[in-house]
Amino acid sequence: MELSKTLSDSALVESIRSGQNIEPAIRSMYRDYFGTLSWYVLNNNGTQQDAEDIFQEIVVRFIELVQKNKFRGESTVKTFLFSLARHTWLNELKRRGRAWAREEKFENAQDHSAPDTSYLIADREARLEIIKLVGELGENCRTILLLYYYENKSMKEILQLMHYENEQVVRNKKYKCLKQLEEMIRERPFLKQTLINLLHG
Amino acid sequence: MDNSTQGMTDLLVRYLDGELTEAEKQKLEARLDVDVELQEELASLRAAREAVQQYGLREQVAGIHRQVMQEMHKPQRVGGNIRRVIRFSISVAASIILIVGAILALNFFSLSPSRVFTDNYLSYELATTRGGQADVSAVEQAYRSKSYYEVTRRVPLAGNLKDQFLVGMSYLELKNPANAIEAFRRIVSTNEEDGGGILQDETEYYLALAYIANRDYDFALELLEKIKQEPAHTYHERVSAKLIRQVKALKWR
Repeated sequence: MELSKTLSDSALVESIRSGQNIEPAIRSMYRDYFGTLSWYVLNNNGTQQDAEDIFQEIVVRFIELVQKNKFRGESTVKTFLFSLARHTWLNELKRRGRAWAREEKFENAQDHSAPDTSYLIADREARLEIIKLVGELGENCRTILLLYYYENKSMKEILQLMHYENEQVVRNKKYKCLKQLEEMIRERPFLKQTLINLLHG
Repeated sequence: MDNSTQGMTDLLVRYLDGELTEAEKQKLEARLDVDVELQEELASLRAAREAVQQYGLREQVAGIHRQVMQEMHKPQRVGGNIRRVIRFSISVAASIILIVGAILALNFFSLSPSRVFTDNYLSYELATTRGGQADVSAVEQAYRSKSYYEVTRRVPLAGNLKDQFLVGMSYLELKNPANAIEAFRRIVSTNEEDGGGILQDETEYYLALAYIANRDYDFALELLEKIKQEPAHTYHERVSAKLIRQVKALKWR
């Protein structure tokens, strides 16, 4: 397997926005930006694992923002990702309760050139909770919901993939699974609000 | 329309999935306008769908992440045929090694930081401006006229990053790598703090050369290896494996 070829900013954004070529786009991001951004984390008290986690986090966030038309290209992708990485990593350091002189310096600095992306990563912990919650669904439930709502598979395709008796059984199962997840979310108003905020950008 | 609880939920799910007929859709939307509980349930179902999409995206990125990390860290494996060729080659190469070894030893002992610096240093040329002299700073004018000492005298610490960069370059021209390092490091720090990337690639390359000239080989290697790992870096092509080997050799000596 090879990392994808470098894509221009506009080609990268278009691939993500269309949703058709998202995998090559992700690989291209790793090829072009992982080195620089992980270098930033490693040089600011982070470990290799931290650098990988932060990069993964910002790739997810960037894709969401592009798909919701929140990235309008006012800065280059590199600058935007760097800003996301910096805010995400500084928040993580804060969360870990480290007193770090550079952090103070950063907080006090007037930032004129980089986009302010701090508000975009404010709900990171809630988002991780959401992932955990979906992970608590049974495997069949999770798979059927992912196939339908993430991979946009039809009931017929899901039937072939999951070997249920017929499409109606798949439909009923999907209904029950979504209802189960809906109830789990309803019991957690904070997570529900985070998801509603995500829906509305 | 089915008014039982399950019937309504089923209708909401079909609405969410875009499966209702136009008539069913209008009827449901009219009811949604006045039924707060129904609105709440629809909001929760939408939230559930969003949660699934969040999970899906994260899983997809995590999968690619694992593959990419494996690829990056995978040791180079040598296949059976290649191994046989290598074994054969080793016997042939053995006799050559002595000769190559002698040449390498000669190179190794004649290697010097100033030689490595000079072999890889190219004066930084400013692009031609269309607006004439009025558009360029005094520092830039001095740099263009190769008045390097003048450049270093003119720039206060608070000068813009381009001027700071020209100061660094001027110190390199004046064979003063220690002061060049100081100027370039200020640019790196400012970019780091601002999240910007003004002249970042240029600065990293020339900072690496300044470190070599100043015999700070560890710092130089860190930067050179970073540039080498980034195909999109402006100076990626300039940083050859040979250059990195030479700096390592200087460090060992």
